[in-house]
Amino acid sequence: MKLAYYPGCVAKESGRELDVSTRWVCRALGIELVDEPKFSCCGSGFLDEANALLNVAINARNLAIAEAAGLDVMTVCSTCQGMLSLAKLRMEDATIRAKVAATLRPLGIDYRGTSKVTHLLRVLVEDVGLPALRAKVKRPLAGLKVGAFYGCHLLRPADEMRWESPEEPHAFEDLLAVLGAEPVLYRGRVMCCGFPVQFVKPETAGRIAGRQILDAKEHGADAMATPCPLCHISLDAYQGPAAKLVGRPLDMPVFHLPQLVALALGASPEELGFSRHLVSPEKVVAKVPAVGH
Amino acid sequence: MPADTVSVPFEVYRYLPGQDAAPRFQRYSLDLTPHTPVLTALLRIRDEVDPTLGLRYSCRSAICGSCAMRINSKSRLACETQVGPELERHGRIVVEPMLNQPVLRDLVVDQGPFWREYRNVEPHLKLDPRRPMPVGKPTAMTPAEVDRFKETPRCIACAACYSACPAVGSDPEFPGPMALAKLYRFAVDPRDAAHQDRLVRIQTEGLWLCLRCHLCTEACPKDVRPSERIRDLKEMAIAVQGATEHGSKHAVGFKRNIREGGTLNEMKLVRQTYGLFGMLPQLPHGLKIWRKKPEVARRPPPIEGQAELEAIYEALDPEGKR
Repeated sequence: MKLAYYPGCVAKESGRELDVSTRWVCRALGIELVDEPKFSCCGSGFLDEANALLNVAINARNLAIAEAAGLDVMTVCSTCQGMLSLAKLRMEDATIRAKVAATLRPLGIDYRGTSKVTHLLRVLVEDVGLPALRAKVKRPLAGLKVGAFYGCHLLRPADEMRWESPEEPHAFEDLLAVLGAEPVLYRGRVMCCGFPVQFVKPETAGRIAGRQILDAKEHGADAMATPCPLCHISLDAYQGPAAKLVGRPLDMPVFHLPQLVALALGASPEELGFSRHLVSPEKVVAKVPAVGH
Repeated sequence: MPADTVSVPFEVYRYLPGQDAAPRFQRYSLDLTPHTPVLTALLRIRDEVDPTLGLRYSCRSAICGSCAMRINSKSRLACETQVGPELERHGRIVVEPMLNQPVLRDLVVDQGPFWREYRNVEPHLKLDPRRPMPVGKPTAMTPAEVDRFKETPRCIACAACYSACPAVGSDPEFPGPMALAKLYRFAVDPRDAAHQDRLVRIQTEGLWLCLRCHLCTEACPKDVRPSERIRDLKEMAIAVQGATEHGSKHAVGFKRNIREGGTLNEMKLVRQTYGLFGMLPQLPHGLKIWRKKPEVARRPPPIEGQAELEAIYEALDPEGKR
């Protein structure tokens, strides 16, 4: 399998442990990731609010880059996935498509809408397949209770994302079970992490993040895992302020999705950037029985 | 008993503030066909089992918007939720009052906050007094003008979106999805003379607290899609007034960020949003993040093909250059 890899801005910089673990997982599974140095930021939903048409055009350009290489696009971010998918959908509107095409054509960019937009989670569950993944697990995450946290834009709007039920998704939990972990079901797993208002009103963002972490904790989770680096910022990097805002100690390690997959496939914890987390997952990782145990 | 009847276990939230020490869940079991609406089941409980159960309803046809409640955690209308699929997915039916509104009794909530937000956006046409509506003649709008708000009049004010919204639940300043969707409806009505004032006012009254999580759009039984109308309002507000609030500064800063390097420059964006002085309260925690993730403070390398982005901006954001 060969995919155009769209890491997104956070995985390239402050969340590079996500990039590192993604590359590890894909190497282990024989997925060839093609880097496209021309990819730009997806706008993260903020560009959409500032100028919706510009947002579509920027992302149509991103998609056209993958199309030129004849590849589907894989993201590792719920939001990037959402923005690229949304652009593809908006480009089905004849008026929007004509305006965007008129802008892109003089630049030699030809958008055709032929590349699929997908996310690492979907690649693992739908393309690699859970039975194939199970066969590669070397270090089952036995005894680890993990609360999956999906991130809004993989799920909603459901009629546009056209994936799992936005109320009762199960792909992430199915994956966790295959890795040997025990998935924890809690309402907060499909809720918002608060990130979009982190820079509008941090207290509001913190209260929202704190509530979801608390929900996972009260349902028995040892750790959380997310397929979205923006959720990771809210849940991990800003967990300290969130704990103060909800008035409860949280102490909840939050994994990036591929970190857990890599760990189960036999990666050593040192390779996965755990020291870059604000809430150290090392204590939880140490509980997982070693390879060949 | 008809052949396709099944036994359906219900767990219904019961609470009478002032009298009960705490809320509790009461279990009931009814034999029902899978197509029975949850509302019909609740009325049977009230009429045949327990006359003290409090609930609000009227039309039973998804028109009046009275019977919104949480059924298996999702805010929705009880009259159009059938027991069969719920039973299949959850094995039971848990019924709770809506969130973000105080409980009056059992499933009945005080909708005061919801309606206050609605009234506060002045959901009615404000005409220019110098140009009164012609008497005895219709005021024509083009189909394209009407199309801009074709979804919002479908709202039945059930408050399912208000209950589903995490911003409402975390910040009393946020007016809620329904009020903002209503505001949008008048802000794009060509007959309304106050749309600029409306947009200026809402910028400082919570517009930018929307999380674009789309939980409202999922909850809405009439496909009003409030989250998308709030997005439209944000773009319109920036167009009218420029970026005046943290939210709009962040959105416009993001736009400029991409133009400059094609990629997000985290530190610069924070500065664009808060200003140098405004960043100070963020500094102590920011330093903690920086110690673990030093890249937050560096300027990321620009992408290849930046000139293409510049040309796209030139064509589609001509006023955005500064």
